[in-house]
Amino acid sequence: MTALFRITRLLLQGERRAFLRGFALAVTVLLMGVALLGLSGWFITAAAAAGLAGVGAVFNVFGPSAMVRFLALGRTAARYGERLATHDATLRALSRLRVRLLQGLLTSPYRALERLRANAFINRVTADIDALDGVALRLLLPGLAGMAVIALAALALWVLVHPAVALVVGLGYAILPSLVFLVGQRLARRSSRRAEAAMQATRSRMIDLVTAREDLTIFGQLQAARAHVAEAISRHATAQDRLDGLERRMGLGLDLTGAGITALALGMGASLAQTGTITPAEAAIGIFVALALGETVAPVRRALTEIGRMIPAARRVAPALVAHPEGKREATLDTPILRLEQVTYRRGDGTPLFAPLDLLLGPGESLALTGPSGWGKSTLLLMAAGQLLPDKGRVTYGGHPVSDLPDETLHQHIAMVPQRHALIAGTVAENLRLAAPEATEDALWQALQAVHLDRTLADRAGLKTRLGFRGAGLSGGEARRLVLARALLRRPALLLLDEPTEGLDSATARAVLTGLRRALPRTAILMAAHRPEETDQADRLVPLTATT
Amino acid sequence: MLSLGAALVWPVQAVLIARVLADLLTGSDGLSPLWVALGFLALAGLRGLLDMAAQGMLSGAASAQIDALRAEILTVETAAAAPSRSGGAGAIAALLTEKLEALRPYALRYRPARLRATVVPLLILGIAAWHSWAVALVLLMAGPLIPLFMALVGWAAKEASARQMGEIGALSDLLADRLAALSDLSLIGAGDAVVDGFAEASEELRHRTMAVLRIAFLSSTVLELFSALGVAMIAVWVGFSLLGELSWGTWGAPLAPFAGLYLLLLAPEFFQPLRDLATTWHDKAAADAVRDELIHWREETRPQRLGRGVHDTAPRFAGLRWQGLSLTREGRVLSWPDMAIGPGESVAITGPSGVGKTTLLRLLAVLEAPDTGAIHLGESTLTNDTADAWRSRIGWMPQAPHFLNRSLRHNIAFGAPLDPDTLDRARLGAVLAALPRGTLTPLGERGAGLSGGEARRVMLARALHGAPDVLLADEPTADLDAQTAGDVIEGLMGFVARGGTLIVATHDPRLSSRMARNLVLEAST
Repeated sequence: MTALFRITRLLLQGERRAFLRGFALAVTVLLMGVALLGLSGWFITAAAAAGLAGVGAVFNVFGPSAMVRFLALGRTAARYGERLATHDATLRALSRLRVRLLQGLLTSPYRALERLRANAFINRVTADIDALDGVALRLLLPGLAGMAVIALAALALWVLVHPAVALVVGLGYAILPSLVFLVGQRLARRSSRRAEAAMQATRSRMIDLVTAREDLTIFGQLQAARAHVAEAISRHATAQDRLDGLERRMGLGLDLTGAGITALALGMGASLAQTGTITPAEAAIGIFVALALGETVAPVRRALTEIGRMIPAARRVAPALVAHPEGKREATLDTPILRLEQVTYRRGDGTPLFAPLDLLLGPGESLALTGPSGWGKSTLLLMAAGQLLPDKGRVTYGGHPVSDLPDETLHQHIAMVPQRHALIAGTVAENLRLAAPEATEDALWQALQAVHLDRTLADRAGLKTRLGFRGAGLSGGEARRLVLARALLRRPALLLLDEPTEGLDSATARAVLTGLRRALPRTAILMAAHRPEETDQADRLVPLTATT
Repeated sequence: MLSLGAALVWPVQAVLIARVLADLLTGSDGLSPLWVALGFLALAGLRGLLDMAAQGMLSGAASAQIDALRAEILTVETAAAAPSRSGGAGAIAALLTEKLEALRPYALRYRPARLRATVVPLLILGIAAWHSWAVALVLLMAGPLIPLFMALVGWAAKEASARQMGEIGALSDLLADRLAALSDLSLIGAGDAVVDGFAEASEELRHRTMAVLRIAFLSSTVLELFSALGVAMIAVWVGFSLLGELSWGTWGAPLAPFAGLYLLLLAPEFFQPLRDLATTWHDKAAADAVRDELIHWREETRPQRLGRGVHDTAPRFAGLRWQGLSLTREGRVLSWPDMAIGPGESVAITGPSGVGKTTLLRLLAVLEAPDTGAIHLGESTLTNDTADAWRSRIGWMPQAPHFLNRSLRHNIAFGAPLDPDTLDRARLGAVLAALPRGTLTPLGERGAGLSGGEARRVMLARALHGAPDVLLADEPTADLDAQTAGDVIEGLMGFVARGGTLIVATHDPRLSSRMARNLVLEAST
């Protein structure tokens, strides 16, 4: 719940004016609706009374009838404006939320970010954000606008009809539906959480079944996997049925609340009119307003079904929105030398991956880390990039521990190209300019030339060649060279490369590494290498050795 | 039907309200306020209960339908031997989970709304005509226009919501794309650029979405306008009639206060079902989109899996042979020379890429059926009936690992007890020691940080688990450094030394040179 409050605050923060406009229009719409029905009821009852009394000719009909028409048209127009205003504000707010999510994640530790790559997690995050689109639109605005209108209507009834009727209608509508909502929300919470968990289990188990279908077949586990999915499906069905049942009962509660209040207004209005305290026309106002206010609580039902989805979504999204505090001091670097002293690393509580390592790397040098896969070459590069802390030992750059360097300094001097190709949907130029937003076309072509990708791209649409999501449309080798070109554009003083020529044939691999070195003559290069093409290029080799 | 019944309670409730007010006006005390209020409440209770019962039945029907569809998808996907063309595992899982859920609001909201929209307005028109032809005329004038506007609104709303959903989907995809790249881009200091680029794209999409929504809202505003004008005209006419200013519009007798009030109470209800229908159109559009996708998925004819994919008892492996095997794949005919392999043999299948090494292994594992020829196990032939028994005797190492989203232990033994020998033979000891939770470490869809070599060794352990007679391995040393490849080769040779039969498809001379026999496949030209 607190997470939902925080998200709501965040959503409203940036778009305060847009939401205020939406709120004002929503109140206008509801108010006009209530006034329309109340006025019509009064008008007709009063007209009938005048007609019966034979004083129809002196009854002023033009004021009320003009008012009825004004309210009818005004309500329609206000409704249109309200819908536009609230939807626009919501879209803005959601767009901001997505951006905030990216910004928040950007400052979280590398390992946490790495987990993001899993499809399931990404789908989860995006689905969560989508679930939050109703927070303002279907929860907050209708709730607040409804409350405001109920209060105003009660005030009007107090003045126009009778304080007793005003109290019954005002308090009834203000308290009872809120109570239904709070109770229902509380009751739904557990089933809603179960339904959600079962849904996620169904998804992940189905993904397993489909991707590993052949392996499961051979190992005789296919039917077991199918039963595993079916179990999650039936768990979801049970929870969903319970939720539906609850929603129906709450709906009944709301219907009865509205009917009860209207019945009270009817009974009280009629009694008061019989005793002559108020006129029948005034009683009609009370009844019709009580009826019309039913519209203000209608969104409660919808909100009930959605809040069960929103709360867990908010709980998952909210932590990711917090930017982690930096708190790192400016640092002036000494000689740009990377130095590792007695560095080790272990995953969790396991044994250290490699024996304590010492290493020194200066400008213009190339150094290759070698050793079997899984021994920690990539881990070592991440430590040099300041993204991981060693268990023991020190990693310093220019005399400062790298993990203490502020992000700006870090990004200015050090660039790392991991094994995977982090490419985004867009043109080649857009992908390259992520690293160097100001780079000219010439500079981009030069970088592409250095990695021998210029000719391949020139055959297509050049810098305007479009890539699909995650760089789809390029072969593995092309994608590899494109991310190398991008790193090159940053002109880092220290370049960390993780198996840079994976997926390239031998000749291209050599040419690309030579091109990189020629383009960045003063850069210190540290690479995790496992091919001879890579180790041949290095000035020195640093083998990782096992812990004994 | 029940929901229709619930909607029909209102005209009766309206009678009560109108009667009370009319009685007050005429000064006759026909009904006591208390009884009227109680009657009104009782009718509301009836209406609510009818509504609840209707919703209960609809919800039951919707659940049954969704369950049946889920069972169908699960059955078909389990039995299929090839991936669906309509999408990968993620798409199928999305269809199975949240997309099918879109059918629920359709059943719960749209269908009853449509039923009400066809019946309730007609009924109210009848009641109105009974009291006054003028009111009926106003309603009737709006009447023929309403189907027209509904069609218009429906068309625009469907178009709009389809496009809006498309846009929102595009934004989600864009976010997913950026999220996937974020970690690595932050390593070159491009994180901020990613965020800025996304913010721009997101703004642009918002503009386009709003343009679409403007049209959608306009069309439903037209509907509201008609309903508001209709109600206002009736209110004004009723008011003037009651004053005696107007004397036309009724069937002779002047309009009674009761009738006037009653008409006013009914008029909004004439339009309400139509407005309900308009607001549920989104549900219909979403359900239609899902149904289209289902139809698309159903239309595919996919090869069926041989066997059920369960364990079956089988005699020990006593040799296999194949004859005249061929298979047409994407218009290309793959064929294989006949061969016989006895127990304890080790065979390397080599040859250039695309010649059919992997396909031969898949045929041997009965993952595919050949177009011609047959594979024989001793006296029996591999068919649908014998596939499960045969597969119970083999171990399998595919080229790319697909780990289940469960523990490492489950990924090796599938819930059976784990034999420490198996782990040793697959050289997994060091890997496990470095994992925080050993064999209980959960493996995500990408193997939770296992390197390529580690993943390969886990697959070897899985293949060796359950003591198979025959091991089929597809490129078990591809992309591995010398030391890890050596480990894997030793693990495989250990299996042969213990009497196992090994068949590998490989490019790697380090591996093929250790095999007793070598089947060289050549491209048929």
